[in-house]
Amino acid sequence: MHRFVFFSIFFGLIFLNCEKGHLLTIAVGGAPNELDYWEKLIREFEERTGIKVKLIRQPTDTDQRRQSLIIPLKAKKPDPDVFLMDIAWLGGFAASGWLQALDDYVKRDTFDLTKFFKPVVTSVDIYEGALVALPVYIDCGLLYYRKDLLEKYGCPVPRTWEELLQVATLIQKKERTRNPRFYGFVWQGAQYEGLVCNFLEFITSAGGGLFDSLGNINLCSKTNIHALTFMKDLIHKYKISPPNTYTEMKEEEVRISFQNGDALFERNWPYAWKLHESNDSPVKGKIGVTLLPAFKTGKTASALGGWHIGISAYSDNKEQAWQLVKFILSYESQKRLAIDLGWNPGREDVYEDPELKHNLPHINVLKESFNHAVARPNVPYYTRLSQILQIYVNAAISGRMGPEEALKKAEEKMREIIHTYE
Amino acid sequence: MSREFRTALPFLLPLVFVVSVFMLFPVIGTFWMSLWQDVSFLPRKFVGLSHYLRLFRDTGFWQSAAFTLLFTFVSVAVETMLGLFMALLVNEQFRFRGLMRAVMLLPWAIPSVIGARIWQLIYRYDYGLANYVLQKISGKVVNWLGSSTGAFLSLIIADVWRTTPFVAIILLAGLQVIPDEIYRQAKVDGATLFQRFFRITLPLLKPILIVAVLFRTIDALRVFDIIYVITGGGPGGATTSLSLYGYKYFLLGDFGYGSAISISLFLLALFIALLYIKTGRFKEAVL
Repeated sequence: MHRFVFFSIFFGLIFLNCEKGHLLTIAVGGAPNELDYWEKLIREFEERTGIKVKLIRQPTDTDQRRQSLIIPLKAKKPDPDVFLMDIAWLGGFAASGWLQALDDYVKRDTFDLTKFFKPVVTSVDIYEGALVALPVYIDCGLLYYRKDLLEKYGCPVPRTWEELLQVATLIQKKERTRNPRFYGFVWQGAQYEGLVCNFLEFITSAGGGLFDSLGNINLCSKTNIHALTFMKDLIHKYKISPPNTYTEMKEEEVRISFQNGDALFERNWPYAWKLHESNDSPVKGKIGVTLLPAFKTGKTASALGGWHIGISAYSDNKEQAWQLVKFILSYESQKRLAIDLGWNPGREDVYEDPELKHNLPHINVLKESFNHAVARPNVPYYTRLSQILQIYVNAAISGRMGPEEALKKAEEKMREIIHTYE
Repeated sequence: MSREFRTALPFLLPLVFVVSVFMLFPVIGTFWMSLWQDVSFLPRKFVGLSHYLRLFRDTGFWQSAAFTLLFTFVSVAVETMLGLFMALLVNEQFRFRGLMRAVMLLPWAIPSVIGARIWQLIYRYDYGLANYVLQKISGKVVNWLGSSTGAFLSLIIADVWRTTPFVAIILLAGLQVIPDEIYRQAKVDGATLFQRFFRITLPLLKPILIVAVLFRTIDALRVFDIIYVITGGGPGGATTSLSLYGYKYFLLGDFGYGSAISISLFLLALFIALLYIKTGRFKEAVL
């Protein structure tokens, strides 16, 4: 008998612990300094409105953040009410019906949508005619370079990939005598989402793309093969990118390599600027940032990234959730996001702020790069397409498979996926 | 209802409860899920066994199945041999034996994700310990995770490092129940060291050896954490285990197909476990 009493109390306690009433919850993740920013922002919101908010701390890793959202959403849980989504999975979330349409709130409060970057909002945040999310910050691929080294050897900032190759080969050869670890160009080549962004930039800047003008998949095109061969050659033929490009190089590995002074050029997101320019950085004051180069046949292209905020369709607290969203997207909060974390606000009007221009002198480059943004396909099964691209592009740049064969196989697989999920 | 059964019932119920809630229902639930088109962005509908048909044509699935089996076979074989060796060693009388046994267990006591992270840092191309040592000795460096074979062996080393102590500690328990008299008698009869090992130790250890190998095999079949951390399934998908493959579908929101992958992994593990029990004459072994 005692055992049964014990068990019922035990499980009773577990169930009691699950539901905690209608507290407003927001799920965000990231590095410690990012979480500090959110913590501060939320405390301020609480003081102003008197609404209590619980911050759910997520990991830094994008896939893990996504996983920790899919589970409650799939189970139709009321928490978290508000969360941030990577641009790459926004389509999947919207198509799953997990996001609350915001149109009514926007209309009621005459919330000014024109303050946000229009191409971003129209291409990503509007799903089947309904506004389901808003950009908190925008990311675009950029080229960082060592100003001091380019000056030392009298080389220009490259506009084309061919120029970059020439400059990097020359300077790498000279610098190797002082630093045997020195490489000309570091970028993200490990088998993960970042590789797809890099790949998209290379193929788009060659004049290619994943789809043809009619929207049919056209991966195995001449231009794409040329671009992928170039990526592979950077590592194996010209040897200006390190051999661990295709095994380990993710954003942070690339950033650290450049920051330690081990690279001339770096492809990275805007977040790297603030860290490169921090006081303990060996390259502080020696760097510049510009648009990514293009092939002679194409135009510069920056993969569009960034995080968007949305309200759960299952939220039991939508009104308060909307208040929080508005607060996070307010001019002041967005400006702080840029100054404290060095990120690019989703609001366009913040970019004209004098204080911001003073703090982030390269803000114009950022704004320009948004005009050359190339978005990843906004389809709900994008993740699967991306996984296929990751595998085959990685196989090609590692030398395990020829670029043409890899693209042909990837295209075949992608057709299968589209067929399964369309 | 016999009296014996009625008396036994309250003692059995908690076990039945635990087994069904934590083991049986999840398996049945996952199987049920695998019969549905359960993609978060598509309408839910019953599709019967068509996910299993899709598995047959899915080359990615067969590749990961082959990798998983190879990984299991190699890692379990190496771990068993090394574990047996370690167990024999610490079963002998020597100074600091207690300390030795404690130190030996350390890798097993470290959470596997942390252990994997340590190995990932060791294998790092530019700042890794392995390349640092190699550079000092030979002046060359190796891109450990760069080729399929390299990545495979790197994973095997990390897994062996972590789980050999587990095999060793189980075998040590088995060694300790073998009575000393048998050895003494064998010595009197003039048996050599090898004869004593192959004629006494191994046969008497067999029951516990099978348990250890069975545990390790099932564990190795569902390997996820170390691969997720060290290679992420790369290079070019060469080290994607079945669990990792299924996980990718969960991440996509395709719960039905992901469940079908999980169920096939479960059936594979079940089949291998039954094989062990059958060939290892488990019943005699346990009794």
